[in-house]
Order: sequence, then C-alpha cells, then structure tokens
Amino acid sequence: MANITIYDGTSLFYPGATPFGFYDNDYQFQTDADKVVTFCARRLGYPIENIELQDINFYAAFEEAVTTYGNEIYAYKIRQDYLSLEGTPTTTTTLNTDVIQPNLSSIIRMSHQYGEEAGVGGTVTWYTGSLVVTSNQQNYDLNAWAQDSASISATDRIEVKRVFFEAPPAITRYFDPYAGTGTGMVELMDTFGWGSYSPAISFMMMPINYDLQKIQAIEFNDQIRKSQFTFELVNNNIRIFPIPTVSGGKLRFEYIKESDRNSINAPGTAGGVSNVSNVPYKNPTYSEINSIGRQWIFEYTLALVKEVLGYVRGKYGTIPIPGAEVTLNHADLITAATAEKASLVEKLKGYLEDTSREKLLERRALEADYKQKELNLVPQPIFIG
Amino acid sequence: MSLYGGSRDISLLRHINRELMHNIISQQIIYYGYNIEDTKVNIYGETTSGRIFQEPVILYTLIERADQSSPIEDGVINFSQPVTFKFLRADLVDANVLVEEGDIIQWQNAYWEIDNVISNQYFVGKDPRYSNTDSTGTNPLETGLEDFGTSLSLICNTHYVPADRIGLDKQRI
Repeated sequence: MANITIYDGTSLFYPGATPFGFYDNDYQFQTDADKVVTFCARRLGYPIENIELQDINFYAAFEEAVTTYGNEIYAYKIRQDYLSLEGTPTTTTTLNTDVIQPNLSSIIRMSHQYGEEAGVGGTVTWYTGSLVVTSNQQNYDLNAWAQDSASISATDRIEVKRVFFEAPPAITRYFDPYAGTGTGMVELMDTFGWGSYSPAISFMMMPINYDLQKIQAIEFNDQIRKSQFTFELVNNNIRIFPIPTVSGGKLRFEYIKESDRNSINAPGTAGGVSNVSNVPYKNPTYSEINSIGRQWIFEYTLALVKEVLGYVRGKYGTIPIPGAEVTLNHADLITAATAEKASLVEKLKGYLEDTSREKLLERRALEADYKQKELNLVPQPIFIG
Repeated sequence: MSLYGGSRDISLLRHINRELMHNIISQQIIYYGYNIEDTKVNIYGETTSGRIFQEPVILYTLIERADQSSPIEDGVINFSQPVTFKFLRADLVDANVLVEEGDIIQWQNAYWEIDNVISNQYFVGKDPRYSNTDSTGTNPLETGLEDFGTSLSLICNTHYVPADRIGLDKQRI
C-alpha cells in the first residue's frame, strides 16, 4: 500500500529541489525557500488543515514565481528599449544589470529605405550604366540591357533611378549673358556706378529669392525654348526625345538591382538581436531582488501553490468517504488562484508602466508645472532702491 | 488500461479520509473483536463462561444512528437504537482488526453488536485484491491491475445490546 507523504509542517531546502535549479545556489533563495513553504502552508490553513502537497511543490512554485517576476521585468525592459537593442550583439553575457543607453540605430536603419529611394543614403548600391544610342532609334529596352550588361540573375530586374539627360545645372550659367534671361543686374550696377566691373569678380548683394527665380528662369528657358531633351521610362523601356540623328552617343543612367532593395538583411546586424527572444536577458539574481519584488514573489508563489492544491484536490470531483462522498474546495482554490495570479501580474505591469521613460518624463514635466504655479504664488515685492 | 485510481490517488484519498475522520469529525469507538478460539461452548453452541473478546481497540469511525425507541416485547419495555458504524478499511488494516459479525462496538457507554458487514465501496470500481492474475501473477489482458482501485470502507450495521448480556466491563482501555 503506497503511502505518499504530504507536507508535515517541516521542510529543508536543498539544491536540486526545484525543477530547473535556476536559483538553487543563491543563498538568499535557499534561505527564503523554507520560509515561503511555511508562509504558503499557513496561508492555506496548515496546521488546522492538511495540505496535500509536498515541499517540492512549494519549491517549484517559488522558482516559477521568481522566474515570472524576472520575465515581466525584462519583457518590459525589452519593450521599452527594443529599438535600441535590435541588432546589438547577442553574445553579451547579460543585460540584467546594464542601464540601456538609447540610440538611433533602429530609427536610422528604418529610415534607410527613404534615403535609398531618394538617392541620398541607405544600403542599396546605385550602379551606373550606359548604352550606345543609334541613329533614328528612339526606344531602348533596358531590361535586355540589364541581362546583357548588369550582371544580374535571370529573375532579377533593375530599376533606373536617374537618366542623365539634363543640361548642366542652371547655377553654372548664372552669370552667362547668353542664358536667355539676361543678368538683370547691368542696369542696377550701372545705377550704382559699378557697370564697368566684370560680372565674374564683382557682386551685388541681392536677396536669395532673386537667385532662385533667376535659376528657375534659366531652366524654364532651356525647357521651353530649346531642344526639349527628355525621355519616357515605362517598365524599363526608355523612349528618348528627340529621336537621335547620329549613332555613337551614349545614354548614361543610374540604376539599382531590385534584388538589392529586396534584401532584408540589415548590414552590420548579423548575429545580433533579431527578435525579443534573443535579447540577452537572463533570469534574475534572486538575492538582488528588493523587498518589494520579493513580496510580490511570495504572493505569486501562494497563488501558484493554491492552484496546484486545487488541481490535486479536484482530480476527482468528489472524494469517497466511508458510506458517503464529499466535495472538496478545489473549485474555490482554482478560481481564487487564477484571479490572484492575474491580479498580481496586472499590478506588476502597472507598476512597471508607471516607471516607463514616458511616464517619468510626464511626471517630471507635471512637477515642473506645479512648482512653477506654486512659485507664482510667492509675492514678488517691488524693489525700491 | 487503468489510468485512474492508482496508488498515488489512493494515498491522497486516504489522507483526505483520515483528515476528515481523525482531525475534523473525530468520532471514536472501542472495538471488541470476538475471540472464537478462546470462547468455550457446549454442544448446544452456548458459552458456559461467557464470550471472550480480543483486546479492545480504539478506532475512528463515522456513525449514523437512528433514533432511540422503546419497543414493548412480552410486556417488557426494551431499548432499541440501530446504529451504522462506517470504518475506513485502511484504519482497520493499520490496527490489525478483522471485522466480523458478532463483534461488539462500544460507543459512549453502550454496546452494539454487529449484525452484518458491508464491504461494497470500491474506489473507481475496483478492488485490487481481485486482479485476476494467474499462477505466475499475470493477467493475460492487462498488467498492474493490483495497483489500481481500493476497497474503501467497511460498514457495520449493528443493534444495541445491553452490557449485562455480553458481560463486558470497562476496566482498562
């Protein structure tokens, strides 16, 4: 007849008594383990009632409570700092005791995509290419050109980012008397007696909007009155205007490989933090948890023990006794334990949220406002000298 | 294959029953087992020097009692109170008590003689003593049946018996 012993009011913790052994060698954990057993047992009615558990059940709950506490804390830290943590090395021993210095690495990484499209940054290489134009040929297939000349795979494509058809920038002809707009300054300079000075070495201080308007005038002049060099680009088929009259000229352009843009591996982050599961946080060091945290752990342990006891007592809906049956309090235990666990986790999350950077800065701003209001109540005497 | 009612479950059951019967309800009786070997009887089956009983044993029990009544038989007012005593079999095993008809139970200051014993409360419907094993201890359909289920209780229906009729006198327990 097997006789499975149940808790008899005594317990003696030993390393290895918990399922995972995360904290077994922590002296404080060892010291608290048996106290937690006593606390939970008494809260459950021992010695007036039997507790149909063994000390290892209490230890397992205690270990789980510490781990849950650490999980909540570090999950919160990860949520708070993930933008700064993403991409950092996972080989760091642990971040448990580190103060995280916020950085812009993820923000900049996310911004690369915009820079890439604008051609002012990012991680996608812009290549240069050219094709020889042929007399009287207006249309050119850049897809075919790419397969022949751009070293891309058969399934890859290029995307043309810029075609070099423009005239030189208008600013280079700012002082060009033949730009078509006139300098507009001759009469003005004559008025001031500076007409004989060369435009290249003498300047008249003008507002910047004057320069902009003049540059725009040069560009419009070129576009409207001159030869209208332009192109249409649809599905990498380029149509150039006007139709070339001679062969041998080169049409130059810049392009990217779509496979480069589709690449999802952020450069410089190989082996780094890629998701919340590999941020290098570890289980907490029990002896470093303060009394507030430990009290939470004790109460969570009690809820877990209550739950286990409920399951033990509830395996059979009713328990036979000689000539009758009784129903134990397993339903109450499980209901209470579930509610207590949820309440404790919610309380901890609320506590953590209250200490988020956002909330702390809000509070500090409020404090500053209130201080200012209070100081405004201080009479301000008029100084009479 | 049996899944429920294994030895751990039985142990839990025993703990709960004992907590309930020993610590919470705590009804006790004194059990006198009939010593048939030492009781001398004549050819008519009558004892000449009274019945001999085993050493008394205190046991926990659950008591279900009917109301007292005073039936009149042959012009004599008698006393009657049927009582049912329910024992946890594990307690009887520990106390090495074999319950049989004719045994006497002392409850408070009165005595009840066992009329019949009911052993019909099986946890998960099995009595592990009947696991249908062959001479090699093997059940051809299933092994390990002897580790599942239990016969939980013994229930004794009794009738009141005057102390002078059984000759018991409380001297020492």
